[in-house]
Amino acid sequence: MANGYTGKILKVDLTDKSVEELSTADYEQWGGGHGMGSALFWEYCEDKTISGTDPGNVVTIMTSPLSGTLAPGVAGRTEITGIGIQAYPIGWYTRSNFGGRFSTQLKFAGWDGIVILGKSDTPVWLNIVDGKVTFEDATDVWGLDTFETQEEIWATVTASADDWNALGGSRDSGRTTQRPAVLTSGPNAEGYGPMASLIHDAGNGAGQGGFGGVFASKNLKAVSVLGTGSVQVADPNALMEARLWANEYSFAGHRDSTFTTVGSFPFATSPGSTIGEMAPGVVSRPQGCVGCIRNCRARTDKGEGNESSCVDFFWYDAFDRAAHGGTTQTTAKAADMIQKYGLNSFAMEALMLYLGDLLQQGLIGPGAEIDSNLPFASFGTVEFAEALCQSILTQTDIGADIALGLAPMAAKWGRLEQDTTSGILRLQEWGLPHHYDARTEVEWGYGSLIGERDINEHDFNYVAYWTPTVCALYGVECEISAERLSEIVAEKTAPYNDPMMMDYSDEGIYSDAMAKTVSWHRYYTRYWKESILYCDWMWADFVNPYREDFSGLTGEGEPKFLNAVTGGNVTYEEGIEIGKRIWNLDRAIWILQGRHRDQEVFSGYNYEVGAQPGTTTYEAPYTMPVYENGQWSYKSVAGRMLDRDKVEAWKTKYFELEGWDATSGWPKRETLESMDLGYVADALEAAGKLGA
Amino acid sequence: MADIEKKEESSQSGYSRRQFLTGVGGIGVGAVLGGALLKSILLPEEVLAIPASEGYLLVDTRKCSGCTSCMLACALTHYGETNHSLARIQITQNPFGSFPNDINIDQCRQCPYPSCVDACPTGAMHADAKTGVRTVDEAKCIGCERCVNACPFTPSRVQWNPQEKHAQKCDLCVDTPFWDKEGGPDGVRACEAVCPMGAITFSSEIPMQTDGGYNVDLHEPIFDTLGFTGAGGVAGGH
Repeated sequence: MANGYTGKILKVDLTDKSVEELSTADYEQWGGGHGMGSALFWEYCEDKTISGTDPGNVVTIMTSPLSGTLAPGVAGRTEITGIGIQAYPIGWYTRSNFGGRFSTQLKFAGWDGIVILGKSDTPVWLNIVDGKVTFEDATDVWGLDTFETQEEIWATVTASADDWNALGGSRDSGRTTQRPAVLTSGPNAEGYGPMASLIHDAGNGAGQGGFGGVFASKNLKAVSVLGTGSVQVADPNALMEARLWANEYSFAGHRDSTFTTVGSFPFATSPGSTIGEMAPGVVSRPQGCVGCIRNCRARTDKGEGNESSCVDFFWYDAFDRAAHGGTTQTTAKAADMIQKYGLNSFAMEALMLYLGDLLQQGLIGPGAEIDSNLPFASFGTVEFAEALCQSILTQTDIGADIALGLAPMAAKWGRLEQDTTSGILRLQEWGLPHHYDARTEVEWGYGSLIGERDINEHDFNYVAYWTPTVCALYGVECEISAERLSEIVAEKTAPYNDPMMMDYSDEGIYSDAMAKTVSWHRYYTRYWKESILYCDWMWADFVNPYREDFSGLTGEGEPKFLNAVTGGNVTYEEGIEIGKRIWNLDRAIWILQGRHRDQEVFSGYNYEVGAQPGTTTYEAPYTMPVYENGQWSYKSVAGRMLDRDKVEAWKTKYFELEGWDATSGWPKRETLESMDLGYVADALEAAGKLGA
Repeated sequence: MADIEKKEESSQSGYSRRQFLTGVGGIGVGAVLGGALLKSILLPEEVLAIPASEGYLLVDTRKCSGCTSCMLACALTHYGETNHSLARIQITQNPFGSFPNDINIDQCRQCPYPSCVDACPTGAMHADAKTGVRTVDEAKCIGCERCVNACPFTPSRVQWNPQEKHAQKCDLCVDTPFWDKEGGPDGVRACEAVCPMGAITFSSEIPMQTDGGYNVDLHEPIFDTLGFTGAGGVAGGH
């Protein structure tokens, strides 16, 4: 049936090295990606209270019906789920997501996803070539970095690069010119699991959750996939026409006259936006994931910084500039380090900021309170970055503590409470690095707190934070007024459709409307971005400067591509409803892991210290939309801190909106049954954790 | 071989036929072709009267982002499904490579003297009578793959389609049953239409080309302002 799915999910049991085909049709109700992953996790992880390194942990690597198609900003994304080992004090069931070619090759190989169970008794890597799945000895690649590992696997799987390779024994077996898509951990990742990412190609990382460490705990080094098959599309002509329609609202259709509107617009943004972080004189090309229309990265003439973006550079660029008076090639080299070593870039950024503050206070160094012989005199140089990374990889010097994860590290140093209260250790919630600020851009913080990880979902961030902030920095009036923004957001945030959802005033951040904002955001992202896999750097498209009324593609675009591929008729609003169902399933898993609303508290600095740039390496003063005295405007909310009581009152509003027990934050039976999740309610009830 | 007329040898040229075909067909070119549309040429052993293609895909690999949208669109419009292996244009790339050698766009050159056409024993591989586009009459293809092996480029621009069991190659979208748009030299090409970087365009004249590829600069001024100072330039296509 031509509906975008291959029809098969690969179930792998590492313990007995067996494989099994599951029928995708049984899980299509979840869309793909995260939804399918959570459903599979629920089914196959028998004890959800185990740690992420327990052999019983179930890891899913999932695609969507749009993977490997022409749908813009989706075809190359892959979603990973499983119990993580990064969050503190409990490694929640979590997710991560990466771009590149992996999901495309997996679909072309004939699989909608992979479910990994058990633990191998010997180091292995998984070799998927079309329908053939083999367990390969990983002894020789276990200690290699991610680049070396991929090159070794490429050479093993295909005879020659950049030529046609026949993948089967007969003339009529498939051929391809493509390299295998490999997802791998860094060298000996079991030693630094909470810091360990999974890397694919040069710059696609699944960082959050410590899935590199989870892989290593299963004696699994890598998964390689290469396919020669097809993704069957229900309406090819509609898909082509939709793609050409999208050109009109992106760089692709405006190369001769790009927009001049000041602001940050994900779908319309020109390619290679982080290229500016490279050293002067670097020559490069735009680079993108499969099927991308934006192409937000680059490859360079020096071959350094290839495919990296955002915090891959930002973990070190500020320190490079401080050491050298400007960005040098050090930044690209540092980006390559974390890609090669498979280290979490956000954790490394928070670590660098922390080390800098400790250094300034004389608390770290030879013979200091935190004794370390790292070359701190070279802070900001390649030498220091390499020494820091190596200390983690080998668990030597302070690397032995960092390898535990940032919160356990600080706890071991006896500094966790004080340093997350003063804010020099920027762990916003669950021991996870501060990304965007809970005190100002509250939907980001609330979503992370009620969830399980830094949400890293820029839907509102682009339009409610960056655009007005950039306008303020440049001293220009935003072309999209705060009132117009509130109207656009209201149009696109079914079922709530409330303009007040964009009120980030001191009152608005604790309002019923902000509960709707967070609720909608959880639903939208769980389905459209994490299950159908629309890329976070292109969607949601709330505001598009190529549209006369600035109203972006969101609402119209998501189902247009999905239905062209599947032949279905899922509406945008129905997608939001499926997202709600997925969100409730995830919530139930966290409840079984031990979640209670009393745990859902930000780190102390969010309540004690005013928000200010410098909390990360990339922030600017916060200017946000506010509704005050009957008027919309953009206003600086920098310096704001959260009120503990008001946050708790907001949580109550939010839980009631979700149909969860406000005293515990646990879903109620009627809420779950309304979404056909009665079996989930049964499990919660059996555990004594069903909302009253 | 309906579209190829073979005549008796009459040339006094000092070139061997093989040397000529290799030279203008692709690898090891060294020389430059360009400008005029060549309708026929004398060869040492025989004269091939092969109509020139009325169009060529012109590519600038320095603008290519490696997204492979062109490959997906090619398979989608010809077969109704997305598939890298069925794409008649191939993007090969090394994520760890250095610009500009990290990416090749491997598209059919619509060679003036196509080795693939010459190698075909049945006339399945031919120049379309109307457009001159080198293409495959699938009904005539016997699957010998001589055309696949005869292509002087790596990877071969002629492919074996294992699903339908015939050779295939770029037809400039003359025949795209799964796309409503009119293709071919006078129409729209799927790969060109979807390329977000504008790295693929169309030319009705034989492009200037060297060993390194097409001598073409397709970059718009915006690429310089975005910091892609390497976009465009010379020897941009393979």
